[in-house]
Amino acid sequence: MISVALTVDGHAASATVEPRTTLADLLRDHIGATSVHLGCEQGACGACTVLVDGELARSCLLLAAQCDGRAVTTLAGIGAPGSMHPLQEALRDSHGFQCGFCTPGFVLTALALLRDNPAPTEAEVRAELSGNLCRCTGYQSIVEGVLVAAERMAAE
Amino acid sequence: MSRLVGSSVHRVEDERILTGRGQYVADVRVPGMLHAAFVRSPVPHARITSIDTSAARGVPGVVAVCTDDDLEVADMRLWGPPELLRPAFRPLTADKVRFVGDPIAIVVAESRAIAEDAAELVDVDYELLDAVANIDQALDASRSALFDEAGTNVLLQTSHVHGDPYAAFASAHDIVSLRFVQQRQGNVPMEGRGGVADYSPATGELVYHAAHQNPHQLRVSLAALLGHPAHQLTVRCGDIGGSFGQKAYPSREDVAVCAAAITIGRPVAWIEDRSENLLAAGQAREETIEVDAAVSADGDLLGLRVHMTLDQGAYQLTTLPSSIFPTIVRVLLPGPYRIEHLAFDTTVVATNKATYVAYRGPWEAETFVRERLLDVVATRLGLEPAEVRARNLLRADELPRRGVTGVTMEHLTARETFEQALDLVDLPAFRAAQAAARLDGRYLGLGMATFAEPAPGPPDYSRALGVGASPRSAQRAVARLEPDGTITVFTSQSPHGQGHQTTLAQLAADGLDVPIDQVRVVHGDTRLTPFNLVGTGGSRAATLASGAVVGVTAALRDRIVAVAADALEANLYDLEVADARVSVRGTPSAGITFAEVAARLAPDLDVAYDFAIPDGGWSQATHCCWVEIDVETGIVRIPRYLVVEDCGALINPAIVEGQIRGGVTQGIAGVLYEWAAYGDDAQPLATSFLDYLLPTAAEVPRIDIVHVESPPQGPIDFRGVGEGGAIGAPAALTNAIEDALAPFGVTITDQYLPPWKIVALVHGTSVMTRPA
Repeated sequence: MISVALTVDGHAASATVEPRTTLADLLRDHIGATSVHLGCEQGACGACTVLVDGELARSCLLLAAQCDGRAVTTLAGIGAPGSMHPLQEALRDSHGFQCGFCTPGFVLTALALLRDNPAPTEAEVRAELSGNLCRCTGYQSIVEGVLVAAERMAAE
Repeated sequence: MSRLVGSSVHRVEDERILTGRGQYVADVRVPGMLHAAFVRSPVPHARITSIDTSAARGVPGVVAVCTDDDLEVADMRLWGPPELLRPAFRPLTADKVRFVGDPIAIVVAESRAIAEDAAELVDVDYELLDAVANIDQALDASRSALFDEAGTNVLLQTSHVHGDPYAAFASAHDIVSLRFVQQRQGNVPMEGRGGVADYSPATGELVYHAAHQNPHQLRVSLAALLGHPAHQLTVRCGDIGGSFGQKAYPSREDVAVCAAAITIGRPVAWIEDRSENLLAAGQAREETIEVDAAVSADGDLLGLRVHMTLDQGAYQLTTLPSSIFPTIVRVLLPGPYRIEHLAFDTTVVATNKATYVAYRGPWEAETFVRERLLDVVATRLGLEPAEVRARNLLRADELPRRGVTGVTMEHLTARETFEQALDLVDLPAFRAAQAAARLDGRYLGLGMATFAEPAPGPPDYSRALGVGASPRSAQRAVARLEPDGTITVFTSQSPHGQGHQTTLAQLAADGLDVPIDQVRVVHGDTRLTPFNLVGTGGSRAATLASGAVVGVTAALRDRIVAVAADALEANLYDLEVADARVSVRGTPSAGITFAEVAARLAPDLDVAYDFAIPDGGWSQATHCCWVEIDVETGIVRIPRYLVVEDCGALINPAIVEGQIRGGVTQGIAGVLYEWAAYGDDAQPLATSFLDYLLPTAAEVPRIDIVHVESPPQGPIDFRGVGEGGAIGAPAALTNAIEDALAPFGVTITDQYLPPWKIVALVHGTSVMTRPA
């Protein structure tokens, strides 16, 4: 067993886990961060995407041990009911999602996209989101929400 | 107060979903909860000669390893028609394995990781049998039968004759014969299946936390299969990460997880991983449909002879017999067209594959076959496909009519969707652009498809399917005036992305003149919600759940106003309702709040209402798909996609359009990307997202939607849109591809058209590669 100490959504957290434990399992099973969703555990669907020290990461492909001392941001950490992030607001306005299972990965991927490219074209948004799978929407509403968020965040 | 119905109000679900507060089945935590992993067969067909679980039982942290011998469960068969051979099967197979992924044992441990480690140590010996990998092999009597008791892999053979097809064929100008093939496809919700069986040995209570479309059906089925009293069995569903038909039946895993929890006396969780989902959760669409069409010289469809063969996989569903799928295809094949003579033969075969399940628009083949056929007929006769479609679509003056398969076609506007689509398409301009592009070596195509979707269908629809003698099946809603004056609505729907917490709240809020945040919609808990064997499925909610909620809120409003009239000593008709308060019109100070009404009404705070299936009930649409094909690489690009549809009044337009776009995306993917492939040895070849290709934002086109406005069909004018997108898209897209490849003389009969097949089609003819 190993000890891992990290910051999750601004709060210090620690756990003693088997060395083989993934970051996703650490977050979900030991820290209670269930906004991290597991859709394939193979790095293909993107649902488990989080930010590790600000960089996009598939939490199913990282070991918890690799994240000792690092800062993880999950969907639950960027906004809360009543005080949603402008990106979350825009995705609500666009009816971005349906079942919500893929949502965590899309929102965090879009957040990183807008940070790195505040005024993306539709084609750029589609390309950047192409590492995340959604089975409900056909993506149009998600893409629209990200584009609306870009406009609003630029105006702020 | 402004009306909410008709407006794309924010979804109630979104605040929790967008902030990571959703509660899915994998998020359920119960004290003392153990974790399960299944031992699954690595071979498609074999006799089990021995199972040794001793090494697995010895792993620290393992609590139990159960095989069929260890679980008290019944045969999984519950219901099916007599003409279908229904061999017995167990939750955990004991005698034989019949597909790769067949569950043999359940390992229960302190963690999922330990359970998976131990599952690898269960030693199963097999005596291999020849595998049955496809329809042709299943029809080969020399192959081993999957089920000894059946003695054959042909489980159903039926013939139906509607009208007088023999006379129709005798008078035909031409007979067009085609053999259509649909490949196996997966539902692939982003969340796999799963359940947490919370069993209390002290009370005998079993609460099964599930991700399921039909909680009440799951509850009564589990009670029967486990021999557990129904009054001590609750099914509870929270947020569900999609389903598309896959989470609609009691699964073998559900039964094994519950039985293990009862045997062990502790809660057991099973969360399916993606590999299991692609291996064992079920697949759909694999059908071969041979069609002979009798046509007149002008392109009239005089009659059809059809033989549909469906590959049901190894095991049947417990609550939905495999015979139902071809039955629906037969009943709906004439659709909104003047097809009066139909001979329809059905064969269902068993193969060594995962179970055939319902997948969004399970009868999609009727539209694929009919709409492809119309285009091929047009090409044979040298006509424009739109002209043939227009000739055969029913006109308003021919309605209502009882179709030849026994289902009433009324309030049909399919023809209007087609005519509006034709206006928007501008066919002459497209043909000119297409001809010009061909001179440049560019291949453009346009395809259309028109259909009517039972959403929910008319009262005689279920009788036509032979699944219910009762012409009207009710849906109940319950509304409660809470002591604080807020409203709780209980529905038997079990939404998994459809946004019913929003749409039903919109209806209830309008009905009671309260803000939407004072209405809560409760679903998924069988202790709370009204009984219905069908939860969310079959595009029924828009009409049935809405009708029930409109009815129950009207009844609750009447009760509230009656109490207020008594309290205010006022005439009923002098009262008005606004913002959860009843007051005397013109004297706003004379009023009583809903909370005060509740205090007077208690304990009679609940009202129930039953809604019956109304006449009509068809959603209808015409899909138009434009393609450009690179004949060198076989890549199909979709520059434009248009849906012209009529689903009646819209409760929440954004939700309606989201349903349509999602369905169209799955339909497109079924043509260009998705194939739940098995080898000729019945080994599955697409068991990860690296092999089973879902389209991404980079591939899926924008999808434009036009809503046709038609006169209301009745007081509840909302109809379903859950399935139509997936029904229309494969036909529209394949029609477009054939149109684009017309210079190559290609006739498309396969649904699956990845780049390699497009290239093969282009090179498979002796026709010149480029027009002069």
